[in-house]
Amino acid sequence: MQNKMVVGFKKMTVTEENDDNKIETSSSFDEKNAIEVKNLKKHFKGKRGMEDVKAIDGISFHVEKGEVFGLLGTNGAGKTTTINILTGALLPTEGNAFVSGYNVETEIQKIKEMISVCPQEAAVYKFLSGLGNIKFFGNMYLMPKDKTIERGEELLKLLGLYDARNRLARGYSGGMKRQLSLIISLINEPDILFLDEPTVGLDPRNRRKVWDFLKGQKDQKNTIILTTHYIEEAEVLCNRVAIMDYGEIIAMGSPQELIAEHQVKNLEEVFLKITGRSILEGI
Amino acid sequence: MMQPQRILTLVKMEMTRQVMDPLVLVFTTFLAPALILIFGLTMSNNYGWDESETYSVFEIMLPGLLAYSGLLTIYDVAAGVAGERETGIQKRINTTPLTTAEYILSQMISYTIKPIIQLVIGLGIAVAVGYRPLIFFGTGYSLGSKFVGILLVIVFMVIFTFCSVGLGLITANFAKTAGAAGGLAFIFIVPQQIFGSFIPPGFMGMEGIGWALPSWYATRGFGLLFAGTPFTDTEIWLRLGILLAISIVIYIVGILLYERKKRR
Repeated sequence: MQNKMVVGFKKMTVTEENDDNKIETSSSFDEKNAIEVKNLKKHFKGKRGMEDVKAIDGISFHVEKGEVFGLLGTNGAGKTTTINILTGALLPTEGNAFVSGYNVETEIQKIKEMISVCPQEAAVYKFLSGLGNIKFFGNMYLMPKDKTIERGEELLKLLGLYDARNRLARGYSGGMKRQLSLIISLINEPDILFLDEPTVGLDPRNRRKVWDFLKGQKDQKNTIILTTHYIEEAEVLCNRVAIMDYGEIIAMGSPQELIAEHQVKNLEEVFLKITGRSILEGI
Repeated sequence: MMQPQRILTLVKMEMTRQVMDPLVLVFTTFLAPALILIFGLTMSNNYGWDESETYSVFEIMLPGLLAYSGLLTIYDVAAGVAGERETGIQKRINTTPLTTAEYILSQMISYTIKPIIQLVIGLGIAVAVGYRPLIFFGTGYSLGSKFVGILLVIVFMVIFTFCSVGLGLITANFAKTAGAAGGLAFIFIVPQQIFGSFIPPGFMGMEGIGWALPSWYATRGFGLLFAGTPFTDTEIWLRLGILLAISIVIYIVGILLYERKKRR
């Protein structure tokens, strides 16, 4: 076995090599980045003799601090799998991913203390009130009670749920639950926020309200990774996007760069030009 | 390091869920006490199972009925965990800094409180309908030995409930929805209910099947204690020891399966 020391941008990389494999035990993580993903793969074992499913297949990208980064693609493109790996719900099959310099495979507990996730489902406790849900998740991050309530009420006002704060979430509409879910994900003031299809199922008025809210987060230079089917959402909110298809990244850049590069009118047309399919296919 | 703030929050939330869910409240909280009341009223003077007419059918059944409240914990845990997974809550709380140890401990605490309340209510009903367990009412027992005996009844229930929490976690691992988990839970509940709790000692030679089941040790433990067996009796400690060993094994399997499902 041979040990090799490589000096990275700011941190030191230690790479252990042997004849068969190569394991990156630390990262050459660039400190201006919030996330670095290198040749990441996630394959699920095929059932009943079927072939393995390559949910993501060797993707690499980085997200800078203060950037809103969008993952676009059709259903099954690998967007949610990517987020699940970065937030500790799944282990990668191959490759490396680092969040704030921490390895997602070995240092997930440290990562969990600085991130927050708004999942695809409106994942709230239906038998707790809106404020009860907020207090519950504030406690998960060990926040002081008064700070949780103060911040929670501020966010409830911003998204127009303040009057319903003491009602049980089971009485909320689908849109209200989604908005509450978004508020919960912001309660701990995360360094990095993961939003998995944050506006799916919202009516146009509420979708616009959430966009305005997220634009505010963008202006405050908060780091956000979001997946979406909505092209307009990506164009309005994202500094850069990666277009995914069948587990691979097929294009990456700012929306303006991609539109200019492909000489089309919008990102939807970029996707159509690259893949021959609509990004909204299968929804 | 485990954080009490997170554990207490989870316990409070879980207790709220159990109170707010009418199905859980009626089915798993009031069923066992209701059965004790029904059998207490109808079987207290029936001595059909005991030729010496020392113990009524109700007295023979009571330990099993009390163990039944611990058994229903399997359903509670399985449906609760699978339901949280189904709604995405489980995935969400797994992205917070909450650790598996904190989660499991909170489950143990919140699901143990209810069977102990049911134990107290159940025994209260039994006494109200005329049952006088020697451990509480027998003469010739010092206050200290009565206290230790009562404590042992609670310890039996706590360990048996831990075992049921473990079986609930195992069940939740194989179910995708709360409904499916509730159904699957009966794979563990029914055999324990029939062979471990409801078959009286020596009944048609079927008791042997119960030796492999945790509920058998809890039921027989309750039975010995209620009958006034001194707490120094090795039979009691042997049953407690075996129940503890089974519970530890089941609990470890439950945690391992939960952890595997948490991060694949």
